[in-house]
Amino acid sequence: MANPLLGDTPGDTHLLLGNEAIVRGAVEAGIQVVTCYPGTPSSEVPDTFYRISPDGKYYFEYSVNEKVALEVAGGATLAGAMSMCTMKHVGVNVAADPLMTLCYVGAPGGLMLLSADDPGCHSSQNEQDNRIYARLGGMPVLEPASAQEAKDMARDGLLLSRKHGAPLLLRTTTRVNHLRGPVEFGPAPDPGKPEGFKRNPPHFVPIPAFSRPMHVRLMERMEALREEAENSPYNTVTGNGKYGIVCSGISRAYVADALDNAGLADKVTVLELGFSNPLPENKCLAFLQSVDTVLVVEELEPVVENDLRVLAQKHGLSLDIKGKDVLPRNGEFDVTMVENAIREGLGEAPVPTCECSLPELPGRPPNLCAGCPHRGTYYAARKVFGDDAVYSSDIGCYTLGLLPPLQTADFLLCMGSSISAGGGLAKASGQKVVAFIGDSTFFHSGLTGVANAVFNAHDVLIVILDNRTTAMTGHQPNPGVDKTVIGDNDHPLDIESAVRGLGVTEVRTVNPFNQKKTMAAMEELGTMSGVRVLIAKEPCPLYTRRVYKKVAPQVAYVAESCTGRFDCLDKLACPAMFKEGGKAAVNPILCNGCMLCLQVCGHIKAKKRGS
Amino acid sequence: MPDTKKIRIFMTGVGGQGTLTATTLLAKTALSQGLTVTSGEIHGMAQRGGVVESTVLIGCKSPKIGIGEADILLGFEPMETMRALPYLRQGGLVVSSTEYMPPLSVAMGKQECPTIDDIKKAVATCTSKVYFMANQSIGLEAGAVQSGNIAMLGALCAAGELPFGPEALEAAIKANLPAKIQAVNLKALELGVKALNS
Repeated sequence: MANPLLGDTPGDTHLLLGNEAIVRGAVEAGIQVVTCYPGTPSSEVPDTFYRISPDGKYYFEYSVNEKVALEVAGGATLAGAMSMCTMKHVGVNVAADPLMTLCYVGAPGGLMLLSADDPGCHSSQNEQDNRIYARLGGMPVLEPASAQEAKDMARDGLLLSRKHGAPLLLRTTTRVNHLRGPVEFGPAPDPGKPEGFKRNPPHFVPIPAFSRPMHVRLMERMEALREEAENSPYNTVTGNGKYGIVCSGISRAYVADALDNAGLADKVTVLELGFSNPLPENKCLAFLQSVDTVLVVEELEPVVENDLRVLAQKHGLSLDIKGKDVLPRNGEFDVTMVENAIREGLGEAPVPTCECSLPELPGRPPNLCAGCPHRGTYYAARKVFGDDAVYSSDIGCYTLGLLPPLQTADFLLCMGSSISAGGGLAKASGQKVVAFIGDSTFFHSGLTGVANAVFNAHDVLIVILDNRTTAMTGHQPNPGVDKTVIGDNDHPLDIESAVRGLGVTEVRTVNPFNQKKTMAAMEELGTMSGVRVLIAKEPCPLYTRRVYKKVAPQVAYVAESCTGRFDCLDKLACPAMFKEGGKAAVNPILCNGCMLCLQVCGHIKAKKRGS
Repeated sequence: MPDTKKIRIFMTGVGGQGTLTATTLLAKTALSQGLTVTSGEIHGMAQRGGVVESTVLIGCKSPKIGIGEADILLGFEPMETMRALPYLRQGGLVVSSTEYMPPLSVAMGKQECPTIDDIKKAVATCTSKVYFMANQSIGLEAGAVQSGNIAMLGALCAAGELPFGPEALEAAIKANLPAKIQAVNLKALELGVKALNS
């Protein structure tokens, strides 16, 4: 039976993750092409599209990076296909180049860009607010606040995008991506075939002479979309009272619960902006004229707040607009925080707080899994280079190598930066640099870094941590994998050949669980100069279990002879090991049988699993 | 949807423990009772042995629970119960495991977890409605360690703070879990309810 997300079953209600609801919305719109690069909090959108793709009527791909994903989706929309491209907020930085020009060229088939922003940095290196990209490029923006809206806005946004030929931003935040709520389905018609590309160079080839009128058309399109925003059911005014609240995104949910908690709903008027760009100026102006004070409730940047301040100034309104002066510009909001801001504005006492205090508790930072091959690579690197090398890191599970005792991540910028930033650091300082990069990240943007390093004669030892999958975001396939959850990869790319093809002559491939060979290769490459590559190749153990259906036949155990020196624990920090009565011990349920610890201490032995 | 009393449930555990599966099951149970339900989860890198927090909210729009907002705290690991205590409102209900999953610093002997007594004392400063149970042992008794979470959900449903009882959870298990793990989880549910009453 096909997945319920694909069924034409209007009226059905399912409890869906926000990200699953987005998939359903796209199916209801008649989606034809989906591209992505995974990144939490967006990952479940493409993962769901991928999982149900054997039964779906759309083309789906995991592209190698966000720029490529948006370009593929851009080509598809030019061919008349209703297209969607998904990524996390920082992914849009990678895709920004095609994005800005796609807004000029337009999207005849419809094109929705999902940007999953991450206030609070739950799984990200920054909190950037991508609603600003929409202002920069000229894109309409929809901001859902519930699972139902995630579905409806995905559908309506795609249809709106096709109607106006305007690339549209569906901007979510982590709370929306990862909330669950009931979603009532609408019809899911058969999307049929795209119309095909219709040649029209003045519209589709942005040479300067054509770009200038394209810019004019873009501005006209945005004015037409402003009309849509004026009449959108996602922009609503409720309540009455001289105290006004304007809110967008998930903040709308916080405002609703805060007013309900405080019993203040009858004292305020609320303007909810679900369709927040272009600003529905008439609607906003009427709202501003109807109240004395406005509190703008939006997470991160004062985007709507600034829009409203401009509007008020243009029309000579002198009302008091509050926003980032009473609510923070960083991190997430919550109901009590919003309630207190509203209470303050209305002169009410704040919500009483509980004064309970807790002692400092041991932290529980994430750690490389038991049996993670990266632990073997990092252990060897520390043994060979110690603190003499600077460790340039990249984005992936392997960034967790930064924690003691491995401490093999000294700096990090973004996807693919380990090679290029590492080369830059070495050029500038002459320090020895070891750059770590994962297999998926290597295909994402490491390849260009290698080409650059070879061309510019950088002095860097690049270690490619090839665990045969994209592990951190949930085991998505990349060009190098041989197997995926839904089948084999028919065209696996070989990293060693790719690196040699880019002009690197010193390349070694090792299994990081073979410490002797790994250290020997590191020592050998460590004495050379120029661009050298070590490929540490061994699959992620979680992936091995799930996709290759294999479990190591052996587990480690600590022999009676253990002297309590704890080198194993202190230098490997494997989550399967612990101290017990002055000796080390191994939890056989957690042990993945990698046998790295046996090579670190002679008192650790192997035994058959379960014996 | 009926106009229901708002109930905010904060759940916490360790990545890989099955916290999110339990969260979804509880949300589906609430939905099957015709209640307005929203749930939320925060993970990401936490799946690598870090803390996982999730929420189930009945009658609310927000999927998030702030400090002092939770009516119920469900802790699948005792130290995480203590860490999450600030989320509980004064006088709320706590259902917590007593069985530790030590973080790395503790396993390495560099730090110590608070004792169960410490944890009970801390909880007592916030509320007297507290149930502690050995969820991993109960899970093993039922047939799978992960089913200990379902035992805790069973105890929660039996504690009388929710607008539905263990029968609703039983129906949700039958409707939503794969056939081959239903028996174990139904057994866990029964043991959980028993643990609450013992």
